[in-house]
This record gives sequence, structure tokens and C-alpha cells, in this order.
Amino acid sequence: VRSGRLVGRYLVASTVILLASGLLGILIRESQAGIGTLGANTWYALMTAHGLGAFVGWAGFAVMGLAYWVLEEVGFELRPLGRVLAEATWWLMVVGVAGVIVSTVFMHFAGSWVFLYPLPFHGAGQWGKWATALFSGSVLLAGLAIVTWCLAILDTVLGPALHAVKSGIGNRLGVALGLGYLWPKRFATNPTPVPYAVIPLTVIGIDMIIATLPLAALLVEMIIQAFSPGVHVDPLLAKNVLWWFGHPVVYLLLFPAVAVYYTLVPKLANRPLVAGNVIAVAWAVAVVANVVVWAHHVYLDHPDSSAQGTINVLMQPTTFALVIPSALSLYSLGMTIYRSDWTWGVVETTLFLGLFSWLTAGLSGVINATIAFDKVVHNTLWIVGHFHQMAIVNIGFVVFAGIYYLLPNVYGKPIWSESLAKWHIWLTFIGVTVNSAFWLWQGLEGAPRRFASLPSGYEASTRAALPFVALVAVAQVIFVVNMWQTLTGAEPRPARQKGDGMLVAAEGAIMMIAVFLALGAGAAGFFLGRGTASSHTKTVTVQGAGGSTTPSVNTQGKQVFTSAGCGGCHTLKDADSSGTIGPNLDQTRPPRPLVVARVTDGMGKMPSFKGQLSPKQIQAVAAYVTAVEGK
Amino acid sequence: VAGTDRTILIAYAIATVLSALVTLALFASTGNRRPPDTHKLAEFEKRWLGIVVAILVALLVATIWFTPYGKTTPSDAQVVAVNAEQFAWQLKPSRVRVGVPVAFVTRSQDVNHGFGIYKGHKFIAQIQVVPDRDSTLIHTFHQTGTYTVLCLEFCGVGHGGMVATFAVTK
Repeated sequence: VRSGRLVGRYLVASTVILLASGLLGILIRESQAGIGTLGANTWYALMTAHGLGAFVGWAGFAVMGLAYWVLEEVGFELRPLGRVLAEATWWLMVVGVAGVIVSTVFMHFAGSWVFLYPLPFHGAGQWGKWATALFSGSVLLAGLAIVTWCLAILDTVLGPALHAVKSGIGNRLGVALGLGYLWPKRFATNPTPVPYAVIPLTVIGIDMIIATLPLAALLVEMIIQAFSPGVHVDPLLAKNVLWWFGHPVVYLLLFPAVAVYYTLVPKLANRPLVAGNVIAVAWAVAVVANVVVWAHHVYLDHPDSSAQGTINVLMQPTTFALVIPSALSLYSLGMTIYRSDWTWGVVETTLFLGLFSWLTAGLSGVINATIAFDKVVHNTLWIVGHFHQMAIVNIGFVVFAGIYYLLPNVYGKPIWSESLAKWHIWLTFIGVTVNSAFWLWQGLEGAPRRFASLPSGYEASTRAALPFVALVAVAQVIFVVNMWQTLTGAEPRPARQKGDGMLVAAEGAIMMIAVFLALGAGAAGFFLGRGTASSHTKTVTVQGAGGSTTPSVNTQGKQVFTSAGCGGCHTLKDADSSGTIGPNLDQTRPPRPLVVARVTDGMGKMPSFKGQLSPKQIQAVAAYVTAVEGK
Repeated sequence: VAGTDRTILIAYAIATVLSALVTLALFASTGNRRPPDTHKLAEFEKRWLGIVVAILVALLVATIWFTPYGKTTPSDAQVVAVNAEQFAWQLKPSRVRVGVPVAFVTRSQDVNHGFGIYKGHKFIAQIQVVPDRDSTLIHTFHQTGTYTVLCLEFCGVGHGGMVATFAVTK
């Protein structure tokens, strides 16, 4: 395979990014569960790096590399221009990801990976203009990587391997989009029709150029604004531009993954893809719908007398239309496996579990796509559950399947241990699926997303999920060991023989024990978390009842402190708060009149609470703070 | 919104169980020596498309009426001005009456925020608060008591501490 080295570099770089961003993901989830708690801005900075790293730097980058292999496999070898663009893509992406890591981990940029304008310019003293500029520039490089990749793909699919009878560019685009299956005369090919795997790659190659260019313009604007604050854009427009890119980029992951499924599943099932011509309809729908669904991310944005609500309503049917390519692809792939000689090696198992996850994560996506349901789940952990399942155990599993397939079949390196590879896949599948289910459930319980520490009441479910996160981590350690041994050429461990009943039973037993340990630890965490929550409640009740029927000034002041959100910015030990935006009250110990003045009128970053709190409440909170500060 | 979370839970649980059953059936079918008629299966894909479109249209028709857009503020509504800024809410007034529609007119002074109303841990309603524009959320409370406001759009380091309360009284 001529693109072997190139694809290999994509896979190695993206796997390194997976390990780094996966580690960050584990850190922030365990911090949320209250173990080894990170500072709030550190948490959000790591969340920013984790999101961009895992989504674009791992899953996106890896399937971009696998796309070259898919194309070569179906007879579309990269041509010289495509090869140069593919090289450029690799460098742009690697430098872009490095820049994201520097701007977040070292320069504390924590605007989240969707960097909703104008948040990058309101760092609340946590990060400065250089961090914003470097972050924007780095994302711009990753965006350019996507554009050069699209050009490489389009250059390849529109080449001579298409066998299009008519040579016009429009005609060739139509052929590459699979329109020949619908209008064989208009989009004629000779001798062979376009391979199915080419179609989704063409779709995303076109769409990502359309999707990325406006965002690139916004990022350039952000770099300029970092140094000339007079420049700015309409925040609502910027939000639309962000999602104009932000939705198609999801399909930058899915559509190349579909191309891999279209290639590998028929190979392993030993029969051609079971597809009717109607599958071309799905992709014709996809190429259009993909760039007109962005506003389903802003269903809850509807400023008075703006057109946003109307746009949002139109996006529900277009989003539903995007279910069609998935529904038909799942049908075709499922029917290709149906009653076939499908064996259950590691590649087959991984792809099969991937298809299952695609189906279930797709269905939770239909919920988010429905405005009436999104009102409830928007920006809750439901969304987080939906996309982690989709990204890791569907897209990520295509990447792992690709790695496990390519190593022996393209690079001539048999997997060191096929059974460890299966362990990796099964533990990852169980860990991610269960953890995602917890997120979906927490979301329905109202748990908000992007909270460094969740409001009280979710401790139990967060701790219960944690052992499954650990399971995913253990699985990746297994993966790394196995890859290390494979790549350094260690003697492959003998495959299990049919008669190794004992060995199979022992492995099965160990896996069951691992899963039950996770379940047990999860249950322990659940009850521990619930215990903590109820003891909090008790403390409040006891204090409220303290002595007389009128609560003491301190209790009343403490209630004001907690409910007005003072703890979000201020550290005050007595109230269990550890905010770091405003002065630490235990250290500065402000006198009572000063507290009254600042709470009433505000100063600098501190807002005025005049309208929200009554003079009596302000007096109470001031009395409370001066009574307990420093204690 | 009332009961929507339950509807979602039940619908999604059923969908997951069905998905698992289909997947298990597919798993059980492999290794079978009698290959199916793949042409027939490919032909059937058209009907499958028809089924999928029918389901999606049904879901669309059943749900599209429940959008929060274009609502006009009722004349008897109580207006609450909501000011959002990093990292605090201000509600004027912070006390409303039960059973009478409330129009929360929200506005942000700096970045995007999300105005999310909770009662205890029960989610009630939300709207995105966009800078430089008024966004109005209309809601009628049927229960008296203290309600909590959380920020439902990431707005920076103090996002989680952006809490406020208001009272719904008789």
C-alpha cells in the first residue's frame, strides 16, 4: 500500500493525542466526583484541551488518515497534489493541537472548545489576550488542516479512477456523490460504478470546505480583536458561524468512519455491501442537509424579534433528514453481516460493537434534535452522554478496528496478543457505554454540563460512574502495551486454540470480575455520595432549627451567601466555598461596612446585588461574613 | 416541560432495548451456512427508507408544535427583569405570584449565559441569554416555593457559582 507510511503517521499522532486528551478527560471527571479536586479555571482549561484534543485531534485526525487508505483500497490512489495536501494537513493539525495544549494547559485559556464568542475576551482575569490569540490561531491551523484534507480528498475522488464517461467537473462531482446509481445515463461510468466508500468522503470533502471558511474568518477576527479591542462582531452571528462549522465537523468524524465500515465490513463478511441504489438518495440528502442543520445547537436561543426562532424551527426537519444516511447505512451494513461467515476476531467484534453504538447513540441524538425534547436536555449532561458514546464507541471503534486491521494486513505486523486486543475493546465498550448511560440519566435529572463541580445532589451518580471511567483507562493501558509489543516486533502470542476451554473460561471469569468490581465500586460510590448529600441537608436543617423559631442572623446570612452565589467567586471556609475570582474573604477579612458597600453597589468585576437582595439580606450576609471570616 | 424528562426516559429505554434485540439477532444469525438472498435484501432497502421517513415525519408532526418561539407576553404577565453578568444574576423583582404568567426578560452584560430555572433538583425551564439583546422566557408557576437559577451556558471560571433564587408566592 503506497499510502501506508502516510496513514501510519496519522494513526500514531492521533493515538498519542488520544492518550493525552483521554488522561485529561479522566482527570476532570474524577475531579467532578470530588476526588483530587482541581481549581475551577484549571478544570475548564483541561476541559477545553480535552474537547478539542479528543474530538478533532484524535477521532477526526485518525479517520482523516484512514480515509487515504480507504480510497487506495477501492482504487483511488492519492495523486501528487493530494499527497502534498495530505502532508500539509498532518503538519497543520499537529502544530494546531500543540498550540491548543500550550494556550490551555500553560496559558490557562479556558473558554471551552466551542469558545463561544465573546467569552475568549472575558477571561475574568484567568487568561489574557496572548492566550486568546494563540488559541484562536491554533484552532485556525486545525481548521486549515480540515480544508487541505478536503482538497486532498476531492483531488483524489475526482481523478481518473472515477471512470466517469463525461469529463466536466460538475459531472464528475455528481458521479463521485453516487448520483450514477440514480441517473445512470446522466452520470455514466465505464466500466465500473463508483465504489460506495467514495461517496461519503466526497460528501464531507465538499461540506467541510463550506463549513470551515466562515469559522476561519471568525478566528482571524478574534486574533485581530485580541490586540485591537475596538473590533468586534455580533455575538448571535458569531454563535451561528460557530455551529455552522460545529455540526458538520461531527460528520467529519462520522462520514469517513462510514467509508471505513463500507470497506471493511464487506471484506470481513465475504460478500459485497448489500445496498440498493436508494443508498445514493441518502448521500444526496446528506450533502445538502449537513450544511443546513447548524441551528439545532442553538434551539434555546431566540432573542425577542429576531429571526433565530424561525431558523431553529426549520432545522428540526433538516436534522431529521440527516438520520436517513445513518439509517440506510446501518441497514446495508447489518444486512451485509446478516447470515454471513462473519467470524468474531478482534476487528469484526470492534466493528460490530461500533455499529450497535452508532444505532443507540444515534437514537439519543434524535432526542436532542427534537426541539420539544431539547428544551429539557439542552446543555445538560444528556448531551455529553450522547456525544461521548458516538465519538468513542462508534467513531473511535472504527479507528481501533482500522488499527487492528492495518497492522497485520498492511504493515505486516501481526497483533502481539489478539486476546489482549479483545480485552481492550470489550472493557472500553463496557466502560464508555455505562459511563455514557450515567451521563444521559444525570442529564434527565437536570445535571448541567460544563460545571467544574456539579450542584449538590448528583454526587451519588457521579461517584457510581467513576469506576467505569477507570475501566476505560485500564483498557487503554492494555492497548498501549499491546501496541508497543506489536510495533517493536515481539513474537506474537499464540492464538487460542479451539480446545483451550480452560483459558477461555479463565479470561471470561477475569473480565466478569473486572466488570463486577466496577459495579461494586460504583454502588459503593453511589451510597457514599448519597450519604454525603443527605448529611449536607441534615446540617442545614439542624442549623435552621437552631434554638428558636427565628433563624439566627448567621444562619440567615449563610443562606444568602449560598443562594446568591457568593461562593462562586469568593473563598470562605465556613460556607465550604473556594471561589478564586474575587478576594479570599478568609484572608482579606473585610470589615462589615465594606461588605455592605461592595454587595450593594459592586465594584470592578463584582456586580451590584442591590436589585436582587433586600437591604435586610445584605446586612445579614455582611454580618455573617464578618462573623466567620478567617475561622 | 412537565413530564418531558419521563417521556424521554421511557422512549429512549424502549429504543435501546429494541436496538439490543436487533443486534443480538444479527449476532445469532452469523456463521449460518445458508446465505440470504442479498438482492432481495438490497431491494427491501427502499421499503426501509419508506419506514424510516414515515417514523421521522410522525415524530416531526407530533413534536414541532411545542417550540418556545414567537410567544407574545400575555397582558396580565408579571415582568421580571433578569440581568446576567459574569458571575451573577439579578432578578427584579425576585418574588412572583403563583398561577399568573411570568415574563423573564433576560439580558447579558458580557458573554452568553443560560437562564435555567430549577426547583430543588427538578429542572423547570431555560433560555439562552445573548449579549446585546433581550430574550424573553414566559412561564407560569403552579407551585409556590423557592426556585433556583443556574447558568446553563458556559461563561467562564465562575460559571458553576452563578446562582440566584426567587420566590413564588400565593
